[in-house]
Amino acid sequence: MTASVKMTARNLDFYYGDFKALQDISLDVVENQVTALIGPSGCGKSTFLRCLNRMNDLIPTSRVVGDVLLDNRNIYDPSEDVVSIRRRVGMVFQKPNPFPKTIFENVAYGLRINGSRDKGFIAETVERSLKQAALWDEVKDRLDATALGLSGGQQQRLCIARALAVQPEVVLMDEPASALDPIATQKIEELIHLLKKSYTIVIVTHNMQQAARVSDVTAFFYMGKLVEVDSTETLFTRPQNQQTEDYITGRFG
Amino acid sequence: MESHFHRELDKLKMTLIQMAALSERAMVTACQAFFARDVDLAEEVIQNDREINLLEVEIDKQSLKLLALDQPMARDLRFIVAGLRIAVDLERVADQAVNISQRVRFLGSRPPLPRDPVMEQLSEASLDMLKLAISAFVNQDANQAMDVCTMDDKVDELNVMVLKNLIDYMMNEVPAVERSVQTIIVARCMERTADHATNIAESVTFIVRGLNIKHHSST
Repeated sequence: MTASVKMTARNLDFYYGDFKALQDISLDVVENQVTALIGPSGCGKSTFLRCLNRMNDLIPTSRVVGDVLLDNRNIYDPSEDVVSIRRRVGMVFQKPNPFPKTIFENVAYGLRINGSRDKGFIAETVERSLKQAALWDEVKDRLDATALGLSGGQQQRLCIARALAVQPEVVLMDEPASALDPIATQKIEELIHLLKKSYTIVIVTHNMQQAARVSDVTAFFYMGKLVEVDSTETLFTRPQNQQTEDYITGRFG
Repeated sequence: MESHFHRELDKLKMTLIQMAALSERAMVTACQAFFARDVDLAEEVIQNDREINLLEVEIDKQSLKLLALDQPMARDLRFIVAGLRIAVDLERVADQAVNISQRVRFLGSRPPLPRDPVMEQLSEASLDMLKLAISAFVNQDANQAMDVCTMDDKVDELNVMVLKNLIDYMMNEVPAVERSVQTIIVARCMERTADHATNIAESVTFIVRGLNIKHHSST
């Protein structure tokens, strides 16, 4: 099977006011692969991630120059519908952020705001999404209980289920396991391995071992620039760039 | 600021350098003992082997700890993996030195064979390779390492020449068969030492350039 490119950033610059947070980023995100973004705090990796579904539009004074293509169409084209883009490119955040609703309603939420009324379809989708997020067996007997009663790891998988319910094509994850204990982290990592069969995943992580464990491709960002991108195996065993080498071997600064 | 991990990695490198120095000394001394027919010197090599064996165990321990606790990456990872292989080669070099010394025990108590200058060339060439390989490791010098790899063919040729000379000699001197066979074993140990030097050089190339050049692969 030939790998095809799902998303492409092309000469992307991003500004917060006058501050240029991203400089000339060009990066391909391959379909059904996990792409990890690594780099020190403030390097632009989360900013880049948020550019991939126009989440940065919400920040006043921010500005994008360059293109981000989703299936070869520029998501920043004025004719594109931002709600539709965010449905196709879903997001999971660092801290689990379930709504103060039942487990069922959390997952059904996206379907309802997209206009679904079919109870059977909603129930099927909730079940399928919870199964995909490896949470179904733990919650199937208490779908009407509040989501806030779940553990942190369960809440994060619930948020993943919520993201999957609207059948996105790409899932962006911003440090999805940084607030979780090692067992919950392992579950999320296993889940990422399973999800990439059906979805394209881009993950930001501060944990290099996690990037090494879950991703196929790793991109190293530093001071708003993409320094190096390569297969994860190559990048962590023989990086080409000295800055990458220094960062991943802990010799930075 | 140097991290705790890098201080531990430096310690591992120092242990490897110490082991390399002892293995090199063992082989140099074993060759001296052979040419000088000095049994006392040979006994010294045999006695000192235990220290080298213990260092190999220590390197295994240090490396395993770093791999388990620090999850090293890139060059650090390559250094530890290759360091484990280098320790095995150094331990085997020391074993070759012990093997030569055991032949010296036997040969020292019997009349000498006629001097063969090719044997001296073989000893010199394999020791040159060993010293250069260790220097390449200490200085992390991939060019020196590549030089070592080009020297191995000469050592193989010298070993074959020694073998031919001794076979010719044995055909005419039946009472010298046992001494000749023991000497062939010594030559074989020298040739094996050169092979270990080549392995060490290949490991250095892997550390420095990230390239696996074993068996003419380059991935």
